[in-house]
Amino acid sequence: MLAFVRKNQVLLTSFFCLLVSLYMLTAGARGQLKNDPLGPPLLWLLRPFQVGAQSVTGWARDMEKNFATAASFRSENERLRKRIQDLEVERNRLLEAEATNQRLQELLDFRSQLPSGSVTATIIGNSASSWFQSCLLDKGSAAGVRKGMAVVTPLGVLGQVIAVSEHSAKVLLLTDPNSGVDVLVQRTRTRGIVSGSLDSGTILKYVKRSEDIQEGDRLITSGVDGVFPKGLLVGSVTKVQKQHLGLFQLIEVLPAVVSSRTEEVLVVNADESQAKR
Amino acid sequence: MRLSLVFFGVGILLVLLQTTFLHLLPLGSIVPDLVLVLCVYWGLHYPTVGAVVGTFVLGYSVDAVSSRILGINAFALSVVFLAVYLTSRSIWIHHPIVSAIVVLLASLVKGMALVLVWTVFLSTEGFWAGALRNIVLEALVAAALAPLVFALLRRGQNYIEQVGAPAQ
Repeated sequence: MLAFVRKNQVLLTSFFCLLVSLYMLTAGARGQLKNDPLGPPLLWLLRPFQVGAQSVTGWARDMEKNFATAASFRSENERLRKRIQDLEVERNRLLEAEATNQRLQELLDFRSQLPSGSVTATIIGNSASSWFQSCLLDKGSAAGVRKGMAVVTPLGVLGQVIAVSEHSAKVLLLTDPNSGVDVLVQRTRTRGIVSGSLDSGTILKYVKRSEDIQEGDRLITSGVDGVFPKGLLVGSVTKVQKQHLGLFQLIEVLPAVVSSRTEEVLVVNADESQAKR
Repeated sequence: MRLSLVFFGVGILLVLLQTTFLHLLPLGSIVPDLVLVLCVYWGLHYPTVGAVVGTFVLGYSVDAVSSRILGINAFALSVVFLAVYLTSRSIWIHHPIVSAIVVLLASLVKGMALVLVWTVFLSTEGFWAGALRNIVLEALVAAALAPLVFALLRRGQNYIEQVGAPAQ
């Protein structure tokens, strides 16, 4: 028996791991997996590296910008070019500081409209898989972030917190196929669900064929789902298609917030927000 | 043991790369799946219990930082490892093109495992066209990177084995 186990230990361990992962999937799908024993320590382990990597990425982007700017001055002599490079570096730094200042000011203004419990956070990482649209924030339960809170920016809705560790949080983006935000078409007050899809980007679902939806219509949160405060911009309609068959229209949506161009966000508790409103 | 720990550290580093720097590559929403390449390497050249557990934990790590539900990548990568391990006895890989083909096939196996789990546990609306695109593009990118990653891992493994040899 022992010899058999030793001979086939790799195979047996593989099957055991497969069974464990299937158990996690089943328990997770049924909502029975309340505690994630390894996730928070892993996120804790990765967080400092991600923060560092984010800084290096920002630095690399700055360097890329500086290089592109300096390229136009190559015909100048060495001294002037050096001088211009220095000035460009300084200018970019100041522009970056000014842009950051403006973003934070907008965030602050926006935050004043939200409940006092909202938390400002920075995006420090993106999804490690092409199959999921998610990102990681640098704030977690220690800062008051909780599972289910809405993640927004002054431009609109970004997503929803789906997992929290002490110092970081995982956000399911609006563009993920498994997300869903209850919305109203601002012009007609028609309700629907905005969700991501793997093939046609972000879509507005469950809108009847008879409803009047036009390209350019703005979609705002309805507040009914209890996650997102009412009235936040979700996106705008880019394409409306009424198929020959089926009850619903096929509506493509351009999200108001693009995660790859977002750095700071607000994490909001909709319940307190609704109470304030 | 030391080699297992180093390999595991490399795996965590690859997860970190996938969440940060690899998003700078102009590949749209496709993230090069270096973790898969590492697991294929383990299945071919380092088939130990440590590698099995490492594969599972790396899949779990990808789930922890990305997935809607836990276990989906842990399952898919475990399937890939098992498939590669079972076929490794009949594959002798030295040529970079062969390693690229094996990684391409392994990525397709992973894609099919993901599709299987996704259709059972998650939303399938608007799924199939996007899934096919993801599977094909991920497989091509992983296959393109495989020879380089294999060469680096092989070199690192040889170095650690040589350094560790006198002590043993």
